[in-house]
Amino acid sequence: MAHVLGVSGSYPMLVALWLLPLAGAILCWTFGPQLRTAAGWLVCALVGASFVLAVLSWHDGTQAVSGALGAHQPLFSWMPGFDFGLLLDPLSLLWTFVISGVGFLIVVYSVGYMEGDRAFARFFAYMSFFIFAMLTLVLSDNFVGLLVGWGLVGLASYFLIGFWFERPTAVAAARKAFVINVVGDVGMMFAVFLIVANVHSIGFGDTFAAAGTLGSGLVFAICLALFIAAAAKSAQVPLHTWLPDAMEGPTPVSALIHAATMVTAGVYLVARCAPLWNVSHDAQLLVGTIGGLTALLGAILGMAQWDIKRILAYSTMSQIGYMIMGVGVGAYEGGVAHFFTHAFFKAQLFLGSGLVIHALANEQDVRRMGGLWKKMPFAFWVMLAGVLTISGIPPFSGFFSKDEIIYGALAHGHPWLYAVGIVTAGITAYYMFRLLFIAFLGEYRGDAHIHTGGTAAMIMNVPVAILVAPTVAIGGALMFGGEASPWAHYFAPLFGAPAVPSTPVATPAISEGLTSLLVLVAVAIGLVIAWMRYATAAAQRDAVLRLAIESERMPALLTNLFYFDAAIDLIFVRPAQAAGRFFGQVLDPHVLDGAVRDIVAGTRWFGTLVRSFQTGLLRAYALILVFGAACFIAYYALTGGVH
Amino acid sequence: MSVPVGDYVALASVMFFIGVIGVVVRRNPLVMLMAVELMFNAANLLLVAFARLWVANAGHIFAFIVITVAAAEAAIGLAIIVTTFRPEKYVDVDDVRTLHG
Amino acid sequence: MGLVLVTILLPIAAAALLLLLPRDDTTLSRIIGTLVAVVTFATVIAAGTGEWSAHWLSRPFNAAFHFGATPISFWIALLLTICTASAIASCRIDRTRDFVALLLALEGTMLGLFLARDLLVFAFFWDLMLVPVFFGLLGWGGHPATAWRYFIYNFAGGLTLLLATAAFGVIVGTTDVIGRAGTPLVGGWAPWIYAGFAFAFLVKTPVWPLHTWMPPTYSSLPSPMVAVVSAVQSKAGLYGFLAIATVMLPAYVREYATPLIVLGAISLVYGAVIALVQNDVKRIVAYSSLSHLGLIIIAVASQQQLALDGALVYIVAHGLFSATLFLVLGYVEEREGTRALQRLGGLGWTNPRLSGALCIAALAALGLPGLAGFAGELIILIGLYQAGYVWPAIVALVAIVLASAYLLRLYQDVMNGPERADLPVRPDLTLLEGLAIAPLLAALVLVGVYPTPLLTHQNLVAAQRIAPP
Repeated sequence: MAHVLGVSGSYPMLVALWLLPLAGAILCWTFGPQLRTAAGWLVCALVGASFVLAVLSWHDGTQAVSGALGAHQPLFSWMPGFDFGLLLDPLSLLWTFVISGVGFLIVVYSVGYMEGDRAFARFFAYMSFFIFAMLTLVLSDNFVGLLVGWGLVGLASYFLIGFWFERPTAVAAARKAFVINVVGDVGMMFAVFLIVANVHSIGFGDTFAAAGTLGSGLVFAICLALFIAAAAKSAQVPLHTWLPDAMEGPTPVSALIHAATMVTAGVYLVARCAPLWNVSHDAQLLVGTIGGLTALLGAILGMAQWDIKRILAYSTMSQIGYMIMGVGVGAYEGGVAHFFTHAFFKAQLFLGSGLVIHALANEQDVRRMGGLWKKMPFAFWVMLAGVLTISGIPPFSGFFSKDEIIYGALAHGHPWLYAVGIVTAGITAYYMFRLLFIAFLGEYRGDAHIHTGGTAAMIMNVPVAILVAPTVAIGGALMFGGEASPWAHYFAPLFGAPAVPSTPVATPAISEGLTSLLVLVAVAIGLVIAWMRYATAAAQRDAVLRLAIESERMPALLTNLFYFDAAIDLIFVRPAQAAGRFFGQVLDPHVLDGAVRDIVAGTRWFGTLVRSFQTGLLRAYALILVFGAACFIAYYALTGGVH
Repeated sequence: MSVPVGDYVALASVMFFIGVIGVVVRRNPLVMLMAVELMFNAANLLLVAFARLWVANAGHIFAFIVITVAAAEAAIGLAIIVTTFRPEKYVDVDDVRTLHG
Repeated sequence: MGLVLVTILLPIAAAALLLLLPRDDTTLSRIIGTLVAVVTFATVIAAGTGEWSAHWLSRPFNAAFHFGATPISFWIALLLTICTASAIASCRIDRTRDFVALLLALEGTMLGLFLARDLLVFAFFWDLMLVPVFFGLLGWGGHPATAWRYFIYNFAGGLTLLLATAAFGVIVGTTDVIGRAGTPLVGGWAPWIYAGFAFAFLVKTPVWPLHTWMPPTYSSLPSPMVAVVSAVQSKAGLYGFLAIATVMLPAYVREYATPLIVLGAISLVYGAVIALVQNDVKRIVAYSSLSHLGLIIIAVASQQQLALDGALVYIVAHGLFSATLFLVLGYVEEREGTRALQRLGGLGWTNPRLSGALCIAALAALGLPGLAGFAGELIILIGLYQAGYVWPAIVALVAIVLASAYLLRLYQDVMNGPERADLPVRPDLTLLEGLAIAPLLAALVLVGVYPTPLLTHQNLVAAQRIAPP
C-alpha cells in the first residue's frame, strides 16, 4: 500500500471542480427570488462544468510518479500535523465522476420534477450544496476534512429530507436522519482522537504509513470508531432506521443522496481506509458481518413494503449492505464496483419511480397503481431495465459487481456471508419484480388522474434515458474479464494485491463460475415466486382484494420493521426525555435552587432573631450594656485579669 | 496625710453604680444624662487618684480629655433631647421607640 | 499607548453622555451607540497588545491601573465589541436611550475586566460589570427577584474573588501580574486563594450546581443584553481560569482537576438533557450554554496544551453562536410575541432569511463540522484524549449528539411545520437586523474554517506555563 498520497502540486482544475457547486449554492441562496427558474439551470451548468473538469482531471487523478498515485493539492494548515488538502486518486476520482456526473443528470431531472414548487431556488441551493459537501468528503486528504464533508452531507441530507417542511412527517424524518448521522460523526471524531493521539497527524498518508506499527488492538478501535460513522451514513444495522423515513424528501433527492452518493460514503470510507482494515482481521469480520446482516435485513423488509419509494429505500439499504460486506471482507474492488453500478441503476429506479409519482400526483402506494405499462411505457421500460440490473441478471451491470462481492466473501474465507449473499440475491429479485408487477401489470387501481406529457416530463425523460445506457452496460463494459478487466486494471495500483487474511485459505471449493450459477438459480426462484404471486392471470383477477388481504396478513414483525424504532425510542429517547423533565422540573428548581432558597430563608430567619433585640427602648439598651460590662468585670475578677 | 487609694476606689464605685442605676431606672432623659455624667466623674476620680499614686501625669491629662468629651456629649445629648421632645409635654425616653427593629 | 484606556473609557463616557439626549429618543441613541461600539472595536484592534499603566497603591501591596490586551483577552475583547455593536444596532425596545446606555456601560466595564492587567482592577471591574445587567433585569426583565438573585449570586463570587486577590497581593507583594510570567504561588494560603478564585469563576461561568441564577436571568433579560451577557460575561470566569488560575496557581488547578472535570461533565450532560424538554426558547439556549461551557471547564482543568488552545477557540465560538441565537430568537419573540415552543411554528415560509440565520446559529452550536463550534470542540477533545481524559471526552461526544437533538428541536419547532394561523404574519429579517448579525455569522464560518490565529496566540501564552505532567 505504498500508493496513498498523490503527487503534491497545484491543481487549479481540482480546486475549481470542488468549489463550483458551492458557488452555485451561494448564488441560489443569495439571489433565489431574483433567479426563479434560472436557479435550476444555473446549478445544472455549474455541476456539469464540475463533471467536465473531473473528466479533464483523469490524467492528474491516475498519474503515478515515484510511488505517489494521483494528485494532491495542499490548502492550508491549522497547526503542525493539522494540514488540509485535496486528494484526487483513482478512488476519489471514481466517486467524483458519480457525484458530478449522476448528480448532473439528477439536477437536470429536478428542473422538471420541481417545476412550480414554491421554494424552487432553495431546492437547487441545497442540491448544489450537497454536491459540494460530497466532493469535500471524497476529495479530502485527511480525516478532519473527511469529517467536515461527512457532517456537511448530513446537513444537506437533512435540508432535503425536510425540504417540504410544512409536513410534520418530513420534519421528524429530517431530524431523525440528522441525529443518527451525528452519532456517526461522533464515531468518526473518536477515530480522529485515536489517530491524532497515536500518529500526531490527521493526514491519510501519515496514518496509513503508520498502520502497520500501531498494534492490532488500536487499529481495531480506530476501525470500529470509523465504522460507526460508516454505519450511520450508509444505513447499516442498527443505525439504518433513518433511511426509509428519508423518503419524505423529493424523489430526485432520494435518487442522488439516499441512493447514488451519500449513503455510499461508508463504502468509500472503508475502501479509503483499506490499509487500516487490512491490518485488523477482527475489523474485517465485524464490517463484513454487519454488511451481510444489513443486506439480508433490508431485503426482508423490502418484501413487506407498499410505498414504492420505501421499497427502493430498503433495497438501497440491502445493496449497500452488499457493498459494505464486499469492502469489509477485503474485496475492495468488488465493493467499489457495486457502488459504481448501483449509483446508475438505483438512480434510474428512483428517477423512474419519480416519473410515476409525478404523473400520479404524488401517489406512492403501489396498491393504487397497476397497469401503468400501457399508460406510461417509457417509465415501464426504464424501471424494467433497473429491476433486471438490480436483480443481477446477466448481462446487465449488477450481475458483474454483485457476483464479485459474493465470490469475494468466499475467497476471503467467509462462507456464511457467501450464503447470505446468495439468499439475499434471490430475495432481491423477488421484491423488485414484485414492485414491477404490482405497479405496472394488470389494471389501473388508483383514482388519481394520470398526467403525462408537458415540458416538465420532457425535461425529466432525457436524463432518465441517458442513464439507461450505463445502467445496463457499464458493468459488462468495465468489469468483464476478472483480473484482466479495465476495472481491475484501474484499481490495481490503488488496492494492489488482494489483502492477505491472517489465516490463509485454500482455493475455495466453489469456483467463480459456479457461484454465478448459484446466484442465478436464487434469482430465478425469486423471480418465479414473484411471477406466480403477482403476474399470473389468476393473480391479476381480483388484485385489489388480494393485495388488501396480503397487507392485512403481513406479520407484525415486518410491519413494525423488526422493532428497531421502538427499541431506540425505549432505550435512548424516552430515558433522556424523562431525565430532562426530572432535572428541569424537580432537581433544578427544588433541590439545587432549593438550597439557594434555604440560604436565603436562613439569613432572613437569623435577621428576625437578631431584630427582636432591637426594642427601641433606650433603657433596655442601657441594661444590656451594663450586663455586658458586668460580664467583663466578672470575667477579669474570676480569672485574675490579663498578665 | 494622704487619703488611702482604697477610699477613692470605694467612692468612685459608689458614684459609678449610682450612675448606672440612674441610667437604667429613670425615664427622664435629662436625669439619665446627669447619671452618665456621674459615671464619667467616677472614672475621672479614679484616673486622678491613680495618677497621684503612681506619679504619672497621663492620668490627669486623660481626666481633662474626659471632661471635654463629657461636655461635648452633654451638649449634643441636650440638643437631641430638645429636638426629639419639642412637641411633647413631658419627657420620657420610653415614649420614643422609632429605633425598634 | 493610551489607546487601550480610550477603549475602556469611550463606551462608559458615551453611556453617560447618552443620558443628555431626550428621554424618549430611540433612533439617535441607537445610531450613536452602534457607532461607539464600532469605534471601540476599531480601537481594540488598533491598540493591539499596547499597554497603559498608572500607579494606584503601594500599601499593603503594589497595585496599578494597568490595562492592555493579552493574546487571550484580545480575542475576547474583539468578540465583546462585535456582539455589542450587533446588539445595539438592531435593538427595538422601550426606553431605548437608557437601554443603549446600559449596554455601553456593560461593554465598558467588561472591557475593563478583560483588559485589566492588575488583579485588583480585575476584581473591581468584576463587580462593576454586574451593575448594568442588574439594572437591565430590574428595568426590562420582569420579576425583581431574578435581578437580586443574579446580583447576589455573582456578588458572592465577587467577594471571594476580592478576598483571594487581597490575600494574593499581601503574599506576593503586587497584584500587577496578569499576562506576566511569574513564579507560581505554592503552599500556605495558596490553596485558599485558589478556592476563592475558583468559586468566583465557577459561579460566573456557571457550572453545575452553581447555575441556578442563570436560566431565569437569561430568559428574562431583553435579547440584546442577554446576547452580550451569555456571549461575553459568562467568559469572564473561563478567562479567569485561563489567564489567572493556570498561570499563577497551576499546581492547584492540577491538584483539584478531578472535581472540576466532574462538575464540567455533569454540566455537559445535565444542561443538554434539560434543554431537550424545555419549552421556552431562551431557556433552551441558556441550558445549552451550561452544557457547552462545561466542556471548556473540563478543557481548563485538563491543563493540556491543545485543550487550552481549543478552549479559546470554543470561548470565541460559543460567544458568536450564543449571541446570534439570542439575537435571532429575540427577533422571533419581538415578531410573534411569544417564546413558547408550542405556540411557535412554521415561520420558515414567511421568514426565510430569519430561518436561515437561526439555522446557521443552531448548526454552529451543535458543532456542525466546518463552523466555529466544531473547531473548538474538536481541538479540545483531541487534547483531552491525548492527556488521557478518555471518559470526559466520551461524555462530551454524547453531549454533542444530545445537542443536535435539542437544537434541531429548537430550530424546527420555530421555523418548520405547518404555518400557524394564530401567529401574526410579520415581515422577514430587515436589512438592519441582517446587517447586525451578518458579522457574527461571517465570523462563525471564518473561525470554523481557519481558527489558526486564535491557536497561535494561545500558544504564546501557554509557552510561559510549566509543561503539564
